Amino acid sequence: MALTGEGTWFEDYPVGRRMRHVRGATVGEFENQMLTKLVMNTAQSHWNEHSMERSPWGKRLVFGLVTGSMVIGLTQQDCCENAIRTLGLDKMRFTAPVFHGDTIYAFSEVVESSPAPDRDDAGIVRFRHWGTKHGLDIKGHRVDGQVVFEGEQIALIRRRPVS
Amino acid sequence: MTTFDPAAFPPVPHGHQYEDFEIGQVFEHHWGRTFSESDNSFFTTATLAFNPRYTNAELARSEGHPRELVNPMLLLCTVVGLSVEDLSEGGGPFLGVNECAFPTPVYPGDTVTARSTVLDKRESSSRPREGIVTWRTEAHNQRGELVLSYTRTNLSAKREVPPG
Repeated sequence: MALTGEGTWFEDYPVGRRMRHVRGATVGEFENQMLTKLVMNTAQSHWNEHSMERSPWGKRLVFGLVTGSMVIGLTQQDCCENAIRTLGLDKMRFTAPVFHGDTIYAFSEVVESSPAPDRDDAGIVRFRHWGTKHGLDIKGHRVDGQVVFEGEQIALIRRRPVS
Repeated sequence: MTTFDPAAFPPVPHGHQYEDFEIGQVFEHHWGRTFSESDNSFFTTATLAFNPRYTNAELARSEGHPRELVNPMLLLCTVVGLSVEDLSEGGGPFLGVNECAFPTPVYPGDTVTARSTVLDKRESSSRPREGIVTWRTEAHNQRGELVLSYTRTNLSAKREVPPG
């Protein structure tokens, strides 16, 4: 059995292809608090509930890059399972607050595709990713599908091996 | 018997605010970070980032790497984390990251340090209590090779709130 799947080679990402990644992930203490501390982010708004009680949000906020990492993580098997490297990111925006208990889903679109300048066995794909949440807004009202993150990822992806 | 009076203990300040930033100012961020295997596998699995180059050393070796790669999102999150006290702990939402590049792979065992330069600061027309600050951040490994660079923009809380 191969280590990676069949539909994730450079040729599988024509410009304009859209993907809805079917697995979501609920962000809780483990994802936000643990990862924020793991990466040494000293902003206590992510891990001190008391400090946030009188803030406009009233509770801890999920670190934007934890949200971004969850969104990009959720795209990886479908977009980058055969990515030799992620070369860069661009235009990352954090468009709405995320709270513990919210569930994140990810969406992708291929916006550019080009041959790699220095190798024949791979090409460069630029993806645009969106993350949405299902959970509660700042006033405690239910939201379904609110966009919380947008960003682009540039990846060097292997071409389908010649058999 | 003495009563405990927390007001008798002055706070130890951390972080900077809008007024503290000057265009061109450079911050050498604290601490640095050596990435461990467990940091990488923990972060990668917690974020469901299933590119096996981050979790399978043999696959990474087959493409010329000495071992598995550190997930670039872990690198980005950590470098932002190291920069927070200097740049954004003073308050204000994170607006965005542009032009983020990972020119050199990072492996478990590598150590990175981070540095930022203030690129721009300006008033916010809609939010008088905050300004908008943009920084260019770079991270280098223990050999001085550039491993990450990006531009980040935040709202930055003002120490002095304008009247009205």
